[in-house]
Amino acid sequence: MSVLSDQGPSQPISILLVEDDAPTLWRLQDALAKAGFHVTSAATLAEGRASLAQAGPRVLLTDLQLPDGHGNELIRETRLRYPDTEIMVISILGDEESVISAITVGATGYLLKDAFPTDIAATVRELVAGHSPISASIARFIVRRTQSTAEPPPGPPLNTAKLTPREIDILWGIAKGFSYAEIAGHLGLSRQTVPGHIKNIYRKLEVHTRGEAVFEALQQGLIRL
Amino acid sequence: MTEAAPTTASSGRRRWPKRATLLVQYLLLQPFIIVLCLVVLRVPPPEPPSRYLLTDFSVQENGVGQTVTLPHFTDSRYTMNDPPLYSGRFTWSGSESKEAWSVMLPRFTNGVEVAVNGVVILDSRRNPAANRPDRNTPEIAVIPASLLREGANELSIRLFVWGPIKGFLDRLYVGPDAELRPSYNARTLLFVTLPVVFSAWQAILAVILGIMWVMRRHEPAYGVLAAAMAIGVAQAFLQTPLQDSAYSRLNSVLISAAALESALVLTFALLFFGLKWPRYGWLIFAPALAVMAAGMVGDATLNRDAFLWVGAPTVGLCVIALTVVAAHSVWRRQDAASIMLGCALSVLLTCWALDLLSVLQLVPNRRILLARLSYSAMLVAIGAALTWRFARALNQVDGFAASMVTLVREAEDKLKASFVREEERARAAALARERTRLMRDLHDGLGGQLVSIVALSERGNAGAGISEAARAALKDLRLVIDSMDDIGGDLMLALGSWRERTTAQLRPHDITLVWRAVGPQGLPVHPELRPWHVIQIIRLLDEAVTNAVKHAGARRITVSIETLTDAQADAKVDAKGVARGRITIEDDGKGFELAPNGEAAAAGQHAARGLRNMRSRATRCGAELELTSDAGGTRVRLTLPRRFPDSDAAAG
Repeated sequence: MSVLSDQGPSQPISILLVEDDAPTLWRLQDALAKAGFHVTSAATLAEGRASLAQAGPRVLLTDLQLPDGHGNELIRETRLRYPDTEIMVISILGDEESVISAITVGATGYLLKDAFPTDIAATVRELVAGHSPISASIARFIVRRTQSTAEPPPGPPLNTAKLTPREIDILWGIAKGFSYAEIAGHLGLSRQTVPGHIKNIYRKLEVHTRGEAVFEALQQGLIRL
Repeated sequence: MTEAAPTTASSGRRRWPKRATLLVQYLLLQPFIIVLCLVVLRVPPPEPPSRYLLTDFSVQENGVGQTVTLPHFTDSRYTMNDPPLYSGRFTWSGSESKEAWSVMLPRFTNGVEVAVNGVVILDSRRNPAANRPDRNTPEIAVIPASLLREGANELSIRLFVWGPIKGFLDRLYVGPDAELRPSYNARTLLFVTLPVVFSAWQAILAVILGIMWVMRRHEPAYGVLAAAMAIGVAQAFLQTPLQDSAYSRLNSVLISAAALESALVLTFALLFFGLKWPRYGWLIFAPALAVMAAGMVGDATLNRDAFLWVGAPTVGLCVIALTVVAAHSVWRRQDAASIMLGCALSVLLTCWALDLLSVLQLVPNRRILLARLSYSAMLVAIGAALTWRFARALNQVDGFAASMVTLVREAEDKLKASFVREEERARAAALARERTRLMRDLHDGLGGQLVSIVALSERGNAGAGISEAARAALKDLRLVIDSMDDIGGDLMLALGSWRERTTAQLRPHDITLVWRAVGPQGLPVHPELRPWHVIQIIRLLDEAVTNAVKHAGARRITVSIETLTDAQADAKVDAKGVARGRITIEDDGKGFELAPNGEAAAAGQHAARGLRNMRSRATRCGAELELTSDAGGTRVRLTLPRRFPDSDAAAG
């Protein structure tokens, strides 16, 4: 945080933007560039990888459906090579199918493709400031997974076993549309601690290594030896 | 029934030859059985070697002496005084003195007193079994060695006769005990032990059948047979001394037992084979009762006459009636039980006829009476057959139970299968309904917005309009997708996403969204809440917000979410205390005038249509919509129902 604030004004925040639809790319690029970010763009997975090979960006924004592969691969690689890079998914609908799978490989939130330019810049700035955004629908998906059911629910696999009751309460609040302040009020927390909790939630949902992924899949009964 | 009757009749006609054949076979079988009986009965009962036979006696009877050759019949005396005295001689040589000698009397009626050289060595009247004329009880007595004299010895026998039949003394044997004893034992086994065994068996069957009748009162046949068996057992075991006893009268009553028993067996057969009880059927008990009465009141003579002339023929009559019943039953039922009973009856009838001839001395005989024995055997066979039938019925019940279990399991499987099918069908139907709903929702929102995008882009320089329409289309698409999610009846979860979307929508217009949710729960949970309810409510709220943005020029929109409880509004709370949710949207815009019918009058066509849509959506969800508007702003108050309706009735 202190490092960020130091370099903030002097050196623009670097963003790697991977998006195969040219108009969308232009739109996002414009919005971010206008806000003072340094944007590197890529239209394919290969281009994104090439860009990553040169330098690790501060923020990675990537679409998932790329012509030569899936955005999750890029997210995973970035997470391994540049652990400090903040990662967000660019999604059309913000549906849990795509967002949750990205979260499990290391993304911390999503950006809607049709978001207003000011909102786009604000979201990225918040992200860099350490506030991982979480939407009501994603929070809802996660908390519903924490409720034990007999058969595995539909949707992407997600291990919520590490979440604490407090974190689950926070997710419930978000899912019901309460603001951070309202959640903090209901739960008797300080308003400032809520973003930290959300960051922790993202970290806990992430499946770090291949071995861990297998282990967690075993724990959840998703695969059987 | 009326349709079934001719079928039965025709099948009966078709079975006629088969029945007749069976009956003929049965009737042909009976003479064969009778002949077989006669052949078997010709086999004489065991006798000692004939060299010890003693047949020449002189008899002193009624003061008249004569020489006789045994076997010998003598008239009944009806008195114990002055019985016929048979005197004979046998030779004993001292060389055989090491062996014990005996006198054996294979058969006599009714009692004997045997004396050797004037000393009485045997009085059969002390032996109750020997006193019964219907048992062929033999007697044997060892002659004390001190009584025997070298050479000729005197043997005198007094024959006591008390009826009801003539006195009889079979040829007797005197010789070494070792030679006589085996045939005596064989006869005892046949004519004493075997009847006791049968009677014991009969007693057990009497108990079994009695219990069966007690437990199954609707089958009196068992009770009747149990009674017959009980009487047979009583007759076999109840024996009282002949004289000097307060119970000696009982003997005369027991004489009637045979008649009573045979009448009972006939009753049993009639009941068992399901025949109609004859009108004067009870008359078959009359002879037995008459004999019993004679035994109770009359003297011994009357008693014996009554038995001989009333009792015995009754038995015969009953046996003949039984054979008729059995033959009829063979004709009617063609079952093994009837045939078996019929054959057993033929044996009994043969024995009874032989006994009768024997007693009446119509055939040369040694007075071995077998009717009683064969009858006991028959009854035991009947009892055993009934028990066997009972056991088979139990097995059938078990089999029935087992097949019921199988049937129930099969039915269960079928039910499960059909349940699975039904479930699949229901799921398919639900999917189809959902698809229909999705199509309608997409048509209502996304379709219209895409059409307006097309229209705008064709008009050329209308970038802002296109952007707005496309954004609205995307928003609607997200709403539709969102509404598909299972929110477990908690509308707050849907409102959470709506708040995010609305905040994003209002930000470019510089309108503040104030969110006031009372308590962490917000709205009550409705398990019956369906996606289509959610979509209607969210669209209604969208309309309210859109009106505030487009037509009211509001700077601030306040969304209040609360749960009405008793204290807040009695009228809005169910009698059972089911709370109702309320969502209120207020803006600080300029408001609009409402026509008396609640419709917007002045705010233009678009707003009017929007308000109409909101009302329709509220009605479809069973919610109440209140609209108030003045210069200070507009308030839309949506009070949710206690229970969301199952079907979208208003939508048609």
